Amino acid sequence: MMRVLGIETTCDETAASVVQLRPSGGGDILSNEVMSQIAEHAAYGGVVPEIAARAHVDVLDHLIKRALDKAGMKLSQLDGIAAAAGPGLVGGVIVGLTAGKALALATRKPFLAVNHLEGHALTARLTDGIAFPYLLLLVSGGHTQLLAVKGVGDYVRLGTTLDDAVGEAFDKVAKMLGLPYPGGPQVEKQALHGDPERFTLPRPMMGRPNADFSLSGLKTAVRIEAERISPLTKTDVADLCASFQAAIVDVLADRIRVALQRFETQLGAPSALVVAGGVAANGAIRRALSRFAGEAGLHLIVPSPVLCTDNGAMIAWAGIERLGLGMIDDLTFAPRPRWPLDGKAELSLNGKA
Amino acid sequence: MIILALDTSLSAVAACVLNADTNQVLAYETIGMERGHAEALLPLVDRVMARVEGGFSALGRVAVTIGPGSFTGIRVGVAAARALGLACEVPVVGVSTLAALAAPMMNLEPPATVIAAIDARHGQIYVQAFTPEGRTLISARIASVRDAVRLFGGGPLRVVGSGAQAVAIEAWTMGLKADVADVLNAPDIVYVARLGLLADPSVSARPLYLKAPDAKPQAAKHIPLAGSNQPF
Repeated sequence: MMRVLGIETTCDETAASVVQLRPSGGGDILSNEVMSQIAEHAAYGGVVPEIAARAHVDVLDHLIKRALDKAGMKLSQLDGIAAAAGPGLVGGVIVGLTAGKALALATRKPFLAVNHLEGHALTARLTDGIAFPYLLLLVSGGHTQLLAVKGVGDYVRLGTTLDDAVGEAFDKVAKMLGLPYPGGPQVEKQALHGDPERFTLPRPMMGRPNADFSLSGLKTAVRIEAERISPLTKTDVADLCASFQAAIVDVLADRIRVALQRFETQLGAPSALVVAGGVAANGAIRRALSRFAGEAGLHLIVPSPVLCTDNGAMIAWAGIERLGLGMIDDLTFAPRPRWPLDGKAELSLNGKA
Repeated sequence: MIILALDTSLSAVAACVLNADTNQVLAYETIGMERGHAEALLPLVDRVMARVEGGFSALGRVAVTIGPGSFTGIRVGVAAARALGLACEVPVVGVSTLAALAAPMMNLEPPATVIAAIDARHGQIYVQAFTPEGRTLISARIASVRDAVRLFGGGPLRVVGSGAQAVAIEAWTMGLKADVADVLNAPDIVYVARLGLLADPSVSARPLYLKAPDAKPQAAKHIPLAGSNQPF
């Protein structure tokens, strides 16, 4: 049974996991170790690349050891070593990529350089064993894209953000409202008690025929409203968060609708709508997507929150998929800070694709 | 015992395998480069280990330069060494890049204080001073060239490393006798292996940056909150 170790160090989470291919389809996660650096970066209000890289190199080998121990595996029992080689913060990527190559070299196992985004994109096949092609909404602090997933390494980008990623917009709104870092979950928490209709905020790109996003205007609208009524009471903050989140939810549903039309024109019906990335942990967004999928008659797959945020299991799984297809990499593989899934699509203006 | 030594901390990618019992270098390769260490190191280790009978299973220890030097280069070396140690189930020891640069200059005639100095840019150097026999006189630190030279006391000095010329010039202006022994910007990898044999195997290699990350905590700038609604 094919087993692969996955290593993830592209942002502020150090992660290692062992995943085993299940004969009936999908995979079994034998271990999934994650060490978050949120505390190290909190004082800076965002991820500091040099601090992240230092933290990765300090803990990675211990974390790999723990992932192996929890899986009850020795390196010699694995069939391959996979490491995320980008996109992300290059200082961190280098740590995981180098460690992965070194393990593969010393154990004479195949090495698999995995695109972090492909890890997110293929997670639904790990958890649910679904068939290609499917429609993917990838939403995180660094990425916001709609993709047609046609096969391993075969993606068509249907839409991307022209400025901020969704998670980034959440974090920036949190910051301007004085909420602690990381702000995304805080905005969601505040929104629970807020009035989503108190502020009239724009829904940028709604109704446009392409499936792209633009969120910086929405963020600015929140700022203008907040400055207009400041100083802000607790209720103001909650209402701003609720109104902002409601606008994001509307935009997401509209953009997915457009992407689905484009998908169906090009490829026929998708096997599912899959949501991945850290923002997929947001409850309001999950509920809205579930409503949308129900109306559209689509099978919706939202991986559990631990598999939506950065993790090693998705890298291990992408490694299993690639190893099964003989897509093995060599030890000269260079880190790729930018690495779009759809190589044919134009580079997005901000490099966030 | 057979030890594998790695260095990617400065302007080279290097590895060597030394048999400690016979003091024989079994395999050795070094390539000078300013960037691209992450791509070059493991193929180089592969070539070096291919020349060692028994391959990775013959290793008893891994040594790696931990800096000071290029932050990224240090991490490439330490990440690789620690992963190799995990795979081979052997200790991974750290060797100071400054100590490795200085090592070949010990016990030479005439006796001199040995200074290892690495250019840290912006007029600063990573520097460490040793007695002629190799005891640390001034511990590893980052300093301006002038401040560093003031610490050395009297000469004569034997200076090595990419910061050697700057140190020597400053020493001469202060009337000290100083001799630039070597300006190479990478240690001799065989000395990394030798120092690795002397290191305590119970202490795992960790980077020695000597410089904090270049980031300042932000005063949280947010829209004014009402008196009863202070930041969380």
